[in-house]
Amino acid sequence: MRLLAHRLETERSASLAALAGQLGLVAGLTTLGCALGVAGDSLAGPGSSLGHAFASGSVHAGFLSAGWILAFHGRGGWQGPALRGAGALLVASLAAGLSPVGAVAYLLVPLVVSRDAIGWTARLEWIGWRAPRELRAPFVGVASGVFLGIHLLFAASLMLGYPVAVPDGRRYLAAVAYDIGANAVTAEWLFRGAVFSALWRRWSFWPAAAASTGLALLRYLLDPALPQTAELVAGAMFYTLLLGLGCCALRAWSGSLLPGYLATVAFFAAYRILLV
Amino acid sequence: MIFAALGLVALIAVAVRAAGGDQVSSLHHLYLLPALWAALARGVTGGCLVGLVAGLVQALSIFPLIERAGPSWSAVDGIVSLSTPLTLGLTVGRLVDQSRGRGAQLDALLDIQRTLAGEGTLGQRLAVVAELTRRALGVHRVRLVLEAGGADRVAASAPAEFCPAAVPPTAAATPCRRLMLPLDAGRGPAGALIAERDGDLSAATRGMAGALALHLSLAIENARLTERQRHFAHELEEKVAGATRRLRELDQAKNEFLTVASHELRTPLTALQGFSELLLTRDVPPERARRYLGHVHTESKRLGRIVGDLLDLSRIESGRGPELQRVPLDLGEIIEANLEIFASQHPRHHFDWSGMGSAPPLCADRDAVDRMLKNLLSNAIKYSPRGGRVRVGTGVASDKPGMVELSVEDDGVGIAADALPRIFDPYVRISNPETAAAPGLGLGLSLVRGLAHAHGGSIEVESLPGKGSRFRVLLPA
Repeated sequence: MRLLAHRLETERSASLAALAGQLGLVAGLTTLGCALGVAGDSLAGPGSSLGHAFASGSVHAGFLSAGWILAFHGRGGWQGPALRGAGALLVASLAAGLSPVGAVAYLLVPLVVSRDAIGWTARLEWIGWRAPRELRAPFVGVASGVFLGIHLLFAASLMLGYPVAVPDGRRYLAAVAYDIGANAVTAEWLFRGAVFSALWRRWSFWPAAAASTGLALLRYLLDPALPQTAELVAGAMFYTLLLGLGCCALRAWSGSLLPGYLATVAFFAAYRILLV
Repeated sequence: MIFAALGLVALIAVAVRAAGGDQVSSLHHLYLLPALWAALARGVTGGCLVGLVAGLVQALSIFPLIERAGPSWSAVDGIVSLSTPLTLGLTVGRLVDQSRGRGAQLDALLDIQRTLAGEGTLGQRLAVVAELTRRALGVHRVRLVLEAGGADRVAASAPAEFCPAAVPPTAAATPCRRLMLPLDAGRGPAGALIAERDGDLSAATRGMAGALALHLSLAIENARLTERQRHFAHELEEKVAGATRRLRELDQAKNEFLTVASHELRTPLTALQGFSELLLTRDVPPERARRYLGHVHTESKRLGRIVGDLLDLSRIESGRGPELQRVPLDLGEIIEANLEIFASQHPRHHFDWSGMGSAPPLCADRDAVDRMLKNLLSNAIKYSPRGGRVRVGTGVASDKPGMVELSVEDDGVGIAADALPRIFDPYVRISNPETAAAPGLGLGLSLVRGLAHAHGGSIEVESLPGKGSRFRVLLPA
């Protein structure tokens, strides 16, 4: 029987040790970036936010680079795109740290990542770097994010008494730019793109979605920028869980990262109204 | 449809809110309707999605109550209330999926049975079956891989795949799941059913694939048996037709034989009657009477030979065979004597004997060997032109160890290739305009074969129409 002659998986990963080494290198550099940011803030004294911005940019650069490494199965070729993406993130973070208007630089990050990814489309298709299979998929993504965001606003205002008000325009747009260029990009690229796609190939949908969403939850739990009150943490976990699972479902249904990215951006756009 | 159900959820939320539904009330049961609707229309996917959204919408009114009132039975009631649409959507959706799966399975089985019982080759039918199975399972590709048929099976001559080609190749963004199930109808695996789907294979699909594989293996086995029966029936039909044709030929040959035999028997009898009547009724001079008696003797010998041939053939046909007295023979002496007789009777023919003086020793029935040689020589003369050459050969058969060969070759009319298999059958005379006038009963070659077989030997013939024939009798030394 010619069963084994059909459609074999030819994308072989590098050895586990090599992969771990590359991820370790990225983790080390990320930690170094965070340390430099914290040290910079300490040296500059109170009122300085450049160090914090640098640390934040380092973390997202680390996530993006890890996504590139996993997307390339640890084989060569990821260094250039990862460096360019990390550089764009660090520059955007520093620009946003200097002034809320500087956050516009975050909008360059998706362009830089897209420019690099377009050159590797065939190699990145497996993580969902492709157009959605159905035209309505982006709209479904936006609708999902909007629904979750509105639900969050209603729940927060009804339960916790947070007023829903139009925030300071510049700060709000800066936060949305951060979500568009850093938060949503790295979350989709790493958690729904590389991690979920890799796990889905080995397991079925639900275990893969649970594992990748669990990692995303961990990332938010460890984020020092998140308010640490119990009800806010619980609410953040609840909505991040729903958002993560929803984005995994969108990724699986549409075959593309785009609907999940749009859902994430829409949700955080609503979330910023609440917290900003 | 799902969007319509979600719209209904929104309408219910507005209605509940307008009716002061912050309190847990029976109005919340309205949220069950869209979940039920979506589950009935779209199965688990629709039911769960709309149920989840309905639960989240209810949570907006129930969670603040729980927060205000704290842990209480009312809180438990609220949580049960908001989780009910999701539970209902999941349960009803699964039931709907299961019942649809069963229905599709039954339809597919009927179609598969109908296809496998239809016309066309087994390969063509299996290709259709693969497509039907793909649709029934809701997967993207189905392969039916059959092993090469054993000696007792009718199957494809080599491992064969039947894959519907209409489905485009899978996108790499979605992993491809394969499920391979053996096709085993109780006689060992006859192949495999492979279902491929981009994305996940649900438990319902796996279960249905298992049931289909079992039914498919039985249906394929039945189709193979049917094909085998058809094959055997066709073979049997051909055999019966051949046997019938042969019987007709034999019947015709016997009729011809009766006609010829009557003539052949009547000729010597007429001579015997005529000459004996002359001798009885007239006063015949001694010289003429002697000549008449000579004619009577010759014709009686001829009659005796015909009757002897018939008796021998009758014995051979009845399976008893002629009574042989095997003694060491001088084959050269028999050949020499016969050639002398035939040369004197047919002076215009030329006779050659290639093995003169080197005939191998032979232990056989003298009379049988003599009759075989006479029949072959008689045929050679009968079917070759006047002045033709008849060659007799003898020696140890080079290609058959332990056998002595006796061959008679002529340059006569020859025998057509399609008639060769029949020339040794009794009563058969090959119709040929050039030899139609030649006397004979069609017994000679049949008798030669019978005598050769009785010795444990055989007879072979090579012939080309218009060139001549060569008969070779092989006898054990």
